[in-house]
Amino acid sequence: MDVQGLVGIVPWTFVAQICNLFIQVYLIKRFLFKPINAMLEKRKAMADAQIQDAVKANEEAQAMKQEYEQSMEEAKARANEIVTQAQRTATLQSEEMLKEAGRQATAMKEKAEADIAQERRKAVNDIKDEIGGMAMEIAGKVIEREISEEDHAKLIEEFIANVGEAS
Amino acid sequence: MELDITGAKVFFTVPIDVPILGKLQISETIVVSWIVMLLITGLCIWLTHDLKVENISKRQAVAEMLVEMANKFVTGNMGEKFRSFIPFVAALFVTSVVSNLISLIGLRSPTADLSTEAAWAVIVFIMITYQKIKAGGVLGYMKGFTQPIPVLTPFNILSELATPVSMACRHFGNILSGVVINALLYGALAVASSALLGLLPGLLGDILSQIPILDVGVPAILSVYFDWFSGVMQAFIFCMLTVMYIANAAEEN
Repeated sequence: MDVQGLVGIVPWTFVAQICNLFIQVYLIKRFLFKPINAMLEKRKAMADAQIQDAVKANEEAQAMKQEYEQSMEEAKARANEIVTQAQRTATLQSEEMLKEAGRQATAMKEKAEADIAQERRKAVNDIKDEIGGMAMEIAGKVIEREISEEDHAKLIEEFIANVGEAS
Repeated sequence: MELDITGAKVFFTVPIDVPILGKLQISETIVVSWIVMLLITGLCIWLTHDLKVENISKRQAVAEMLVEMANKFVTGNMGEKFRSFIPFVAALFVTSVVSNLISLIGLRSPTADLSTEAAWAVIVFIMITYQKIKAGGVLGYMKGFTQPIPVLTPFNILSELATPVSMACRHFGNILSGVVINALLYGALAVASSALLGLLPGLLGDILSQIPILDVGVPAILSVYFDWFSGVMQAFIFCMLTVMYIANAAEEN
């Protein structure tokens, strides 16, 4: 079998090795770098997507928080309004009630006063009759004779009227 | 005992004489180069089959690590704009390493043939020159030889040409030295074992002395340096120089 020189450049081998190197470059590019880089790219895209999702979720959460805070604020304001309203109503009602009570008291007082006046009138009339009777009896006894009852009654009436006015 | 250290064996010769190139000879170098390419491509395919984005296998982790290392090596030494050189440098390095180490399984390294390194060095030289012309234009490139003074022009041309020659010869010399020393060592150990076992009396000695028993194991010690260390180191140096020269060429002017 032929052998080539130990040290030397064989033209065909030289050319073949240039071709071989470029073929090897293509092969390594095709079978190692392309799939791995594609995969790394995919992973990077996935990580990016996840980060974006996280950012979006965060934004959503922020928005929700804001909404919640806003509604909280609204609810608080509403509650305050309700309380204020209630207080106002309560004040009005209590005032109304007080007024009503005052009115009732006044009415009761008036009625009581009227009652008292009536009682008094009644009492005065009773006493008048009594005194009239007594006076007539006394007078009858004193003069021992019957004077006309009507005349006497008139006299006593006058007297009592005078007494009533004086008292 | 005769010891013969020769170049690559010629397996097949195409009997057509092409001008300049001569007859096409399918030599050991070319055949082993094909085996190396098959090995590398097979390894790449094996490493990258069934890739996953998440929950990756060890195999895929290794593949990713290799790609990342290649990326870092090229972009770290040349900058981001040379990303397109990554497959070239990676192919150069892995072809060189596998070619150097294939001698471990008894095949002749394609890198023990100067044609191989010369081919690589010429490609690198063309790339360097292309980058220089791209950076400074043809005139700038020509003018670069007359710097700093026109008298130095011949020396500049010589030093320019010395780049591929030194790259090729450095790699080739290291690998060839390994081949030569290994051959010498095997031969010497065969003689030594024959002499040692020949001391045994009678027929037993005659038979045993035919078996080069010392060739088992002992050359492995030298192989650690000449095959493993030197092989990986030379591949690394070749790629490092390639990367450096190309990056420098692009930065000039």
